[in-house]
Amino acid sequence: MNELIKNAETINRLLARYGVKFGIYKNGEFKEQLFPFDPIPRIIKNGEYKFLEKGLKQRVNALNCFLSDIYGEKRLVRDGVIPEEFIYSAKGFLPPCDGVTPPKNIYSHISGIDLVQSKDNNWYILEDNLRVPSGASYPMIARELQRRSAPDAFSETGVVDNRNYADMLKEVMDYVNTGGINVILSPGRYNAAFFEHSYLAEKTGAVLTTGKEIVCENDNLYYIDYNEKKQRVGAVYRRISDEYLDPMTFYEESVIGIPHIFEAYKKGNVALLNAPGNGVADDKGIYYFVPKMIKYYLGEEAVLMNAPTYLPYYDNDMRYVLDNFDSLVIKDVAEAGGYGVVFGNSLTKEKKAEFISLLKSEPRRFIAQEVIDFYDLDILDTDGKRVPRKADLRAFVLSGSETKVWASGLTRFSRNPDSFIVNSSQGGGFKDTWVLSR
Amino acid sequence: MGIITVDKTDHLFWLGRYTERVYTTLRYFFQSADQMIDSNPGHYDEFCRKIGIENVYETKESFLLQYPFDENNSDSIISNLNRAYDNAIVMRDYIGTETMAYIQLAIDDIHNANRNITTIADLVLAIDHILAFWGCVNDMIDNEQIRNIIKLGKGLERLDLYLSLDLPDSDIIREYRRMKQFLAKSKLRYDEGVINTADSMTVEPPLNHKNLKNLLRNLITE
Repeated sequence: MNELIKNAETINRLLARYGVKFGIYKNGEFKEQLFPFDPIPRIIKNGEYKFLEKGLKQRVNALNCFLSDIYGEKRLVRDGVIPEEFIYSAKGFLPPCDGVTPPKNIYSHISGIDLVQSKDNNWYILEDNLRVPSGASYPMIARELQRRSAPDAFSETGVVDNRNYADMLKEVMDYVNTGGINVILSPGRYNAAFFEHSYLAEKTGAVLTTGKEIVCENDNLYYIDYNEKKQRVGAVYRRISDEYLDPMTFYEESVIGIPHIFEAYKKGNVALLNAPGNGVADDKGIYYFVPKMIKYYLGEEAVLMNAPTYLPYYDNDMRYVLDNFDSLVIKDVAEAGGYGVVFGNSLTKEKKAEFISLLKSEPRRFIAQEVIDFYDLDILDTDGKRVPRKADLRAFVLSGSETKVWASGLTRFSRNPDSFIVNSSQGGGFKDTWVLSR
Repeated sequence: MGIITVDKTDHLFWLGRYTERVYTTLRYFFQSADQMIDSNPGHYDEFCRKIGIENVYETKESFLLQYPFDENNSDSIISNLNRAYDNAIVMRDYIGTETMAYIQLAIDDIHNANRNITTIADLVLAIDHILAFWGCVNDMIDNEQIRNIIKLGKGLERLDLYLSLDLPDSDIIREYRRMKQFLAKSKLRYDEGVINTADSMTVEPPLNHKNLKNLLRNLITE
């Protein structure tokens, strides 16, 4: 460990050298920032990982079943497991996707599941990200650089190599590919996660595109080269949101999408990773029902627990939320990236009254959760001293011919000692996640 | 992978051009700074005129302190290097993370030199990293066409600058011949008439630098 700590500065310097940055808009201006890396890894023992792996596979399998059902037969609604209005009022439910089956019936190919470990060592799922989860590239490249700068730290610890993420991703793309090349569709250089898009393209051998070179003809997608020769596209790992994906079907003013791509997808002529419409499954309101989904589709009890969650939509839960407002964290279901999160005890009397009135008028819009007392992880502060900070873990689950969990993950931490918010856009940093092989 | 499109061609070509512009103007900047020490304090005016940029500098000191570093001036060295970076960052999957890193390092060199300005000599590190970038282009990019589109950009920019700087005909003819090799291997569309005319100009020196410069501007048809 000392070797890792000693070389912390070297790693951060190398990360800067390789352009490991994320973009951020501040006062209307685009800025690229380094993603601060902390050299002390999160270590997950083998037995604990096996438990997480089992729970994560189970959860993602159930979520894929849910998506297939909700855009297909809707048995779950018919059987009253989830109130109908929770599905259809979810911002992520896309009516054009109704009745559309993606290649190999896989909806969420790359799932980013956020977990935290509490002080009693239990793991809780905080949220599911089934649209365009990002972050795998950071621990991938950090591991490469740490192995180079502190080899002894790895020689005897039995850390599972995490540099296979690109191979796993390629395997999934190839599996669902309908015949043609794999491409990664990025909104472009000014997207916050552009480093990741370009790095994964380099490592998977997929073509990075902003869509300008892609046309749809006769419900097939083609990539046009310099000599105007067309190459068929079989799989698109798209890193742009559903609403911007196709101006002909979704947001008509989108200039970053590909016109008619949805038609090609609908006809089964191209795979989209992840499938459009997945937002209904990672809606914070739907999150509440995931353990029920697991039971319903898989006939199993959930291995991994949700954080204790209340839906103000239900009268009983609303009463509980109002009675315990100060001890809860309230989340706007439509927000992401650490935004729309309110800690009850942080509001002034006036703001609290205002918020409660909003909660009562729009109960479907919010969920409330018990504040989990995170198990803190040590980081090095600016003086090189070890200090505890809140941290979460984004685990990556890839679904192709089988569902696999990547034996690593993105551990994000808050640099502010008083904050639970770990998002990079709000100043958080990241650590590597070590899974031990024994 | 490695499918060349119009957009990607454009980025590769301009990546070559901007890195060369930084390289040659930095080298010329050092020569100019040398002249300003004792023989010609106002040489910066000639520098600006020759490379075709606006002379916004009032003194030789302001030229020396601003021309390499001023990110608000689109003619500065750092601005040209930032444009090289803009073209490189979108081509990571074609040129590779290792190759791209040398552009980032050159940018860091200029920023570091600006922060600790005691001598402009530190800017030589940026030259080193651009040379390393080209070494990587040669060594690490397997696709011959990709390599040669970058080199074509570099070759054309070098010719343009050498012609502007009125370097000896022998230097220009040498660079012209190299550029033609890159052009052939890049498989880009070009105006053969331009090459025919330029060929005839180069066999009958002295060269008319201004005419050749204008002619070569129309070489690439897209």
